[in-house]
Amino acid sequence: MKHWIAAMTLSIASVVSLTASASTENDRWESIEQQANGQTVYFNAWGGNQEINAYLRWANRELQRDYGVTLKHVKVADIAETVNRLLAEKTAGKDSGGSVDMVWINGENFKSMKENDLLYGPFVSTLPNWQIVDKSLPVEEDFTEPTDGLEAPWGVGQLVFIHDKRTLANPPRSFAELLSLAQANPGRVSYPKPPQFHGTSFLKAALLELTDSPEALYLPVDEVDFNAVTAPLWRYLDQLHQVAWREGSQFPSSSAETLQLLDDGEFLVAIAFNPNAAKAAVASGKLAPSARAFAFDQGALSNIHFMAIPYNANAKAGAMVAINFLMSEKAQLRKADTQVWGDPPVVKLSDTAEVSRFNTQPEPHPSWQTALEAAWLKRYGQ
Amino acid sequence: MARLLFAITLTVCCLPLLPGVGGLLASAFAFLPTLGLTEANFSGWHQVMAWPALWQSIQLTLISGLGSSLLAVAFSFIILQAAWHTPIWQKISTRLPALLALPHVAFAIGLVLLLSPSGWLFRLLSPLLGEKPVTWALVQDPYVIGLTLALTLKETPFLLLMSLSVLRQIDVARLTMVSTSLGYNRTATWLKVILPLWLAKMRFPIFAVIAYSLSVVDVAMILGPNTPPTYAVLVWQWFNDPDLALLPRASAGALLLFALCGLALLLFRFLEWLGCQCLNRWQYTGRRHAWLPGKLLWWPVFITPLAIMPVLLVWSFALRWSFPDWLPSRYSLRFWEQELSYVWSLVGNSIVLAVISASVALLFAIGCLERSTNQRRSVPRAVIAIPLLVPQLSILFGIQVAVYSLPGQWHVPATIWSHIFFAFPYVYLALDGPWQQFDMRLMQTARSLGVSATLAWWRVKLPLLLPAIILAWAVGASVSLAQYLPTQLLGAGRINTLTTEAVSLSSGLDRRISGLYGLMQAMLPLIVFALATVLSRIAERRLLPTSTPTYSGAKHHDTVCQSTHHKRA
Repeated sequence: MKHWIAAMTLSIASVVSLTASASTENDRWESIEQQANGQTVYFNAWGGNQEINAYLRWANRELQRDYGVTLKHVKVADIAETVNRLLAEKTAGKDSGGSVDMVWINGENFKSMKENDLLYGPFVSTLPNWQIVDKSLPVEEDFTEPTDGLEAPWGVGQLVFIHDKRTLANPPRSFAELLSLAQANPGRVSYPKPPQFHGTSFLKAALLELTDSPEALYLPVDEVDFNAVTAPLWRYLDQLHQVAWREGSQFPSSSAETLQLLDDGEFLVAIAFNPNAAKAAVASGKLAPSARAFAFDQGALSNIHFMAIPYNANAKAGAMVAINFLMSEKAQLRKADTQVWGDPPVVKLSDTAEVSRFNTQPEPHPSWQTALEAAWLKRYGQ
Repeated sequence: MARLLFAITLTVCCLPLLPGVGGLLASAFAFLPTLGLTEANFSGWHQVMAWPALWQSIQLTLISGLGSSLLAVAFSFIILQAAWHTPIWQKISTRLPALLALPHVAFAIGLVLLLSPSGWLFRLLSPLLGEKPVTWALVQDPYVIGLTLALTLKETPFLLLMSLSVLRQIDVARLTMVSTSLGYNRTATWLKVILPLWLAKMRFPIFAVIAYSLSVVDVAMILGPNTPPTYAVLVWQWFNDPDLALLPRASAGALLLFALCGLALLLFRFLEWLGCQCLNRWQYTGRRHAWLPGKLLWWPVFITPLAIMPVLLVWSFALRWSFPDWLPSRYSLRFWEQELSYVWSLVGNSIVLAVISASVALLFAIGCLERSTNQRRSVPRAVIAIPLLVPQLSILFGIQVAVYSLPGQWHVPATIWSHIFFAFPYVYLALDGPWQQFDMRLMQTARSLGVSATLAWWRVKLPLLLPAIILAWAVGASVSLAQYLPTQLLGAGRINTLTTEAVSLSSGLDRRISGLYGLMQAMLPLIVFALATVLSRIAERRLLPTSTPTYSGAKHHDTVCQSTHHKRA
């Protein structure tokens, strides 16, 4: 009991300290760094990409050396698994000493965690490196949902397509042209199956181009006439599926699979959520050197991916130090290197030669995500 | 002592099921106070029923699950009738443990690399089929052909291994002698006389195969279709839905999966009864000749895992390998260098978990078996049946909630517990035959010579059964090495094993990394089995009073599951 009270007092003290006046902010950050020394941070993040995994191992070595913080990458196939685990912990009343210290999220998972009070914070403005974040990026909104300082930006995602110059010299410039390409080459175009993240993003991007009222997509779904807004999308997909890979009876399960299928010559166009995906894949040998990324004329659907701390995290100070480090110029520059990962930075860098971005198209309201997934599933999921 | 072990076994294997089932029921009926759901209702069930592709999904599950189980039963019977105690049998039985040891995930990854439209098979055939990959597929096909065949090939060795002790109990030689004298040929004898006896004794292993095939998640994710996926994968996706308000749907779905498994088991039992007891005229209509292609069927079971290993190996050293090249255009040690330093901790975790859970499960199994020999009371079948037959997905969520309600961190003990829980029934099944066959007169003789019961057990029974015990331990270890869901869920993702790593990396679909981890994952149980086989042979050799080379050579097959020397001694 005594320990419990002591722990509570400490955590209240640390929360109070975080919100204290600016003049003492440096001292506060130093005390957070002191607290963090020796802590182990369990970072739950998607583990399907070996380049990202290797990058996080590097981050762990740096953090151990400079701050005495150990960063353990808990690899998950889908971060929703983690959101569920946190719910299980909350269900069981485990409000401290939780199993997750840090998560990599955005969009729907963030909204879900925020609505269920599974997040710790606001903490982002106390991080020293928040100062160098490029505020011209939409870093305070996640799929139109305000971040409220509950998650810190990590990188920029853009929905791009990849083609191989040797097999497809003139890539399509719009969804309409993509359909003509598919009709001219039956069986060689498709997209990941929604509700997989890239598949749903493909639907949103297509809808933005095809619908008569794109502005409706930035409102919650229940405030607009869903059927009227989406009718052109379903007409389009009906046509596309007739000439798609395996005649629309199967879809790839992920962006990685479309890359694989592009390399195998089954696909003409692959899909990724990183403007540097093609360069990174060439560097790692996954794609031929003639592979190039491109975006449609309407711009690339863009969003920021974030890092957050669960409400019951065990090593909150360590997580903040780790997040702050991952936002540092050093860490962001290495992350942007296509030989390492190729994820565009969210901070203003002195050297941005490596970084390329396409024109951006903002993400629709998060409610479209579920609505589109459900409607797609009803039409094509069986 | 045996009684104490038995009590502990019951506690370990049954008590945690209460919170497991409780948690599942509560959330299936939408009772989750933290989510603001405080009144039980049927909303989860309505959502399950309203799922657009529910019936197609269930259909795919029944086709792949029941289809592969029935095929595996048929395959193993057909192979047995052709090979039992013929020269080829020796080859088959020495290769069984290796086939069994290959983890399902490694097998599935290998099959994808081999049989997908741009897999090795089609690369080799590309001069005939053209430079572009074919547009149809043998894996991830909408008719679940790939998944069904993979499960069939993977489950057949298990049923064969389980048949070893069953067939010894049946006394095939005498039955064959009698029916041969009545004019029945070998296959007809097996069909009409041995099949009904074999089926009845194989019921538990077959049930295990059915339940596993219906509820398997990892293999179906890799080899199954996705529009719609099989039902177990669908439930797994429901559990992973970011909208937490939909959790009752997942739990109701898991209960439905449980019910489906139950129905499938009843259906199998009904078919068995129909064929062997109700409509059994075929057994005595008088036809005395039959033929089945046993040796032909053995080859795919044996060749497929063999063909998989080189594909995994080559991919793990490839840097670029585009279609339709037969071999990579650029090789690299990069992935081995990058992973090797890191992989040791995974191997360490996997081994620690396997050693602990196999050893504890072994103790439990011996305790239960001893109790049933001493007191003529057999273990309640439920203890063995529940872990074998309950879909893992169905109970793990509830158990997870229960574990979290304990103060402190329990990831490691909870994960170890779950490995013991799932390994125990396999160890028990592997030891059941040898224990039943043990000639109790040997113990009586020892007692009559003035040795205490305990000493007789240590000096007579244990040495004689040691080869079987070592191999049962290896079976337990390989079950533990292959566990994905329990390690991932109860270990909070913090306990990384080769298997969790292989599955999470397979979502990234990098064939080179998948190949490397598939290979690593396959090597570990192979090493365990190889060691176990060597140890059990050493243990066996020590038992032979004089060395008789011709004799021991002929009996190699016996070492696979048990020792029967005491009968000849």
